[in-house]
Amino acid sequence: MAPSIIKKKKTATGFIKAIESGSKHLLLKRFTLRFPEQKLKFVGDGYQFDPKRGVGIAGARGRHILFHEKCTGCQLCAITCEGIAEAIGMVKITEKWKQNKKGIMPQIDYGKCVFCGLCVDACPFYALFMTNDFELSSFTKEHLIYTPAQLAVKPKYDGSVDIKIDKRGAWHG
Amino acid sequence: MSKEYDREFEKKFQETTRLGLEVVKESEEDRLMTLSVGPQHPGSGHFRFTIKVDGDYIVYCDPDPGYVHRGEEKMSEYRNFIQNIPHLERPVIHDSTNITYSYSLAVEELLGVEVPRRGQFIRAIASELNRQVYTLYWLAIYGIFLGHSTMFMWPAGDRELFIDLLTALSGARVTHAYNIPGGVRNDAPDGFKEKCLQYVKYFEKRLVEYEDIFYNNPLFRQRTENVGVLTKEDAINLGVTGSVLRASGIPHDIRKVEPYDVYDEIDFKVQYMKTCDSFARAYVPFLDMRESCNIIKQLLDKMPDSGEVRLKLQSNPKGQPGESYKRVESGRGALGYYIVSDGSPKPYRVKISVGSFRNILALPHLLVGSKLGDMPSIYWALNYWPVEADR
Amino acid sequence: MATAPKEFRFGNFVASIVWLVFWILVIVTLVVLPLIFVILFFVPLPYAGDEVLTPYLFFSMMVDPTRTVPIIDFLIHTDLFRAAIFPGFAYAAIIAAATIYIERKFLAKMQLRTGPLYAGRFEGILQLIADGFKLISKEVIIPSGADKPLFWATPVIFVATAAAATALIPVAPGWVASNLDVGILAIFAILGFFPLLALLFSWASNSKYPFIGGLRALHQLIAFEIPFILSALPIVLLSGSLNLSEMVESQYLFWFFAVAPISAFVFYISSLAELERVPFDLPEAESEIVAGWLTETSGMIYGLIQLGTYVKLYVLAALFVVLFLGGWMGPQIFPQELIPNYTGEKIYNATVVNGIFWFTLKTFGMIMLILLPRGINPRIRIDILLHTGWYKLIVLAFINIFIVLTLIYGGIITPGGLQ
Repeated sequence: MAPSIIKKKKTATGFIKAIESGSKHLLLKRFTLRFPEQKLKFVGDGYQFDPKRGVGIAGARGRHILFHEKCTGCQLCAITCEGIAEAIGMVKITEKWKQNKKGIMPQIDYGKCVFCGLCVDACPFYALFMTNDFELSSFTKEHLIYTPAQLAVKPKYDGSVDIKIDKRGAWHG
Repeated sequence: MSKEYDREFEKKFQETTRLGLEVVKESEEDRLMTLSVGPQHPGSGHFRFTIKVDGDYIVYCDPDPGYVHRGEEKMSEYRNFIQNIPHLERPVIHDSTNITYSYSLAVEELLGVEVPRRGQFIRAIASELNRQVYTLYWLAIYGIFLGHSTMFMWPAGDRELFIDLLTALSGARVTHAYNIPGGVRNDAPDGFKEKCLQYVKYFEKRLVEYEDIFYNNPLFRQRTENVGVLTKEDAINLGVTGSVLRASGIPHDIRKVEPYDVYDEIDFKVQYMKTCDSFARAYVPFLDMRESCNIIKQLLDKMPDSGEVRLKLQSNPKGQPGESYKRVESGRGALGYYIVSDGSPKPYRVKISVGSFRNILALPHLLVGSKLGDMPSIYWALNYWPVEADR
Repeated sequence: MATAPKEFRFGNFVASIVWLVFWILVIVTLVVLPLIFVILFFVPLPYAGDEVLTPYLFFSMMVDPTRTVPIIDFLIHTDLFRAAIFPGFAYAAIIAAATIYIERKFLAKMQLRTGPLYAGRFEGILQLIADGFKLISKEVIIPSGADKPLFWATPVIFVATAAAATALIPVAPGWVASNLDVGILAIFAILGFFPLLALLFSWASNSKYPFIGGLRALHQLIAFEIPFILSALPIVLLSGSLNLSEMVESQYLFWFFAVAPISAFVFYISSLAELERVPFDLPEAESEIVAGWLTETSGMIYGLIQLGTYVKLYVLAALFVVLFLGGWMGPQIFPQELIPNYTGEKIYNATVVNGIFWFTLKTFGMIMLILLPRGINPRIRIDILLHTGWYKLIVLAFINIFIVLTLIYGGIITPGGLQ
């Protein structure tokens, strides 16, 4: 149903309402998130996948975390990523794990990864999850390739800022 | 110049030089100036159109897309159905849920599966939220094209609310990779419903402010009323879609005409306007946003509290050989996928039919004869997203 | 600069400073001091009050501040000080710099964001200095085929013209750099240069988008000069003279805004158009013609044009205050003497300080009012603009002229106050 009347307001009232609306905003709080000092709080711990139920668990998609005691070197994550970004390559590791007969584990090149999370969906052994950590910049491209030992490190992310809404507008606080 | 004119001119030329006067022949081309509103222009995006200007009036327009062509359709043939999702959502990063929604629907028809009910509701909610995100971005750029810097900042700020919701839902800010053949990838987190309702209620109050400062501003109205009129017959003949079609008086919305998923259970009205000018094309997305808030509230009410959201398919799903075509109403119009499968895990042919590429046909029709000052409002009101049109 | 910087070593840093000091000392001793002596041989030392200003007097003044008072008193009343520093260019430039910062913070607050935040301890207050350094360090790119002398000269002339206009504005009683008898006509003559400069610069840029922008600027600025001048006419009638200081003096009973509000409105709209501010910023309409006649400016040329624009903003806001809002008139809130029972020399004059205070306050209020439409309105189109300028504003200006003429010939007000 078409809105039947769009009233053609007279010029003066139009301007006065516009000025009123603009000036009202001088009293509202500023919305900006001041990034390095304030960081957003993410829901949960990071994106995880439950292969038994076949569905993921909501979370932010940042850097991956690899649990060495569960990875069997089946290469399913690398095979999935071959069609997407070719960011996962399997490398030989020095330590010996009982469940990892071939002795290989994934290394992820964050210069190529698009953070889609389909490798997490592909892992059947609860070994590869994603975490909240997204601040991955470095000075050289070689530093962006994270070895399995680096992927096992738990990240430290302490974001605590959320969007709050009240009478004085919305702000990050 | 035709031959008769030349002969006539030659006769007069001879006569006047005989009388000792000098005559300078002004050719048609001397009056025109060719401007390339090219990719390096603040008012065009990744797109180029060449216009010829006679004084202040545009007499010729030639759109030149193709700067961002990446071969999405060909790349789809080398990846299986699940691996196609991350690259297929890249044509429209801001509206990524809708472009993968249509793909998922088409693939589910090929595989012959049906998504569980809660999954369908969450998909519809994500699609509506993403529509808000895209339309707010479009509105922000429309404001800055007309020189209204406040109308750039307010929608860009309010967009953060919806991006925050989508981050909580899917994990990433813009490229969600959330829809997948078989449902959605993960369930909504706890507290999502209350947060979503709170943000939507706040946003509806913001829409009132947008109307006050932008849509009812006499300067904006003077600039866009009766500018670039696209009559009903022309709209149908040129094949435009989406909000451009609805601004020319035709109440066509894919969610009503061919309802998919749970849209046949939702009660909403198609927003359209009869005035066919540039103001209508700017106002219809705003009305769509208001209606979208209603839809989100109804979807949140009707959603079942628990249930499956994703079907457990085999890792490399493949279905019977066949073809399927599904359309979805995205921010720019009808977005359709036509997929042909030959029984293998990889599709044989994927054809993406986007609204932007069809809307751009109206650009030469509308720009020729209008003033140079109307160019931004006509061009951007056609809801053209260059990256999606080039795929 | 795309190279990685060398490692910082403190010894190298100290060595570079010592090297710098060494070279300064060498040059001062061998070149500057002989030059000063040569000049002083031919040119006599200046007078300050009734003493000759020798270097010894200068050093003794640094020790005993009360002896500097007559010197400063003399310096303040010279023409150079007035033209270059106090009611002239430096004052205008400081207000222009403050305006740029205030504009960015004001618009940011209206748009619910922060504006400059990180340059300087408090809310980005040093952002302008950072921007100035950035502009100075950029390369100036001149398009091929551009008219080089015009391209370099026009921004400088732009700033010079804007600065010339500041010399005519009276800030306090007796404080104006040039007290012409035809002050207001002189200001309009100076402001009439700007369309020409816009056209010259756009033509010298040799490029299509500046060409369109320059033509639009020409149309716009010329169209709004007539309502501009016509709206100042009632004030001339009411005050009986063309001198700006006398116009302010004749507002001692009531501000002329009370009698000529429509003219004030027309003057306000015309000054928005003369300044090329939103909603009238077609000559630099970003989405249609890239940046209009400013497209080919880069580096310091852009910096000079921005400085000129903001000094022009100060001039027009100050002119509005002088014509309609009573200039420096205001209740006396400064005490007559700073230090009671002081009988020595002093430079403090209570009326002057009071006048400066009220004038600055009113000018800032007017500047905020000129900044406001940028947060509220979109850009206008050229045909609507020309229609407004040539039809509507001239009619409104004439209406107010007739009102004022009626009041004068009806005997209610005479030039210079109520009957």
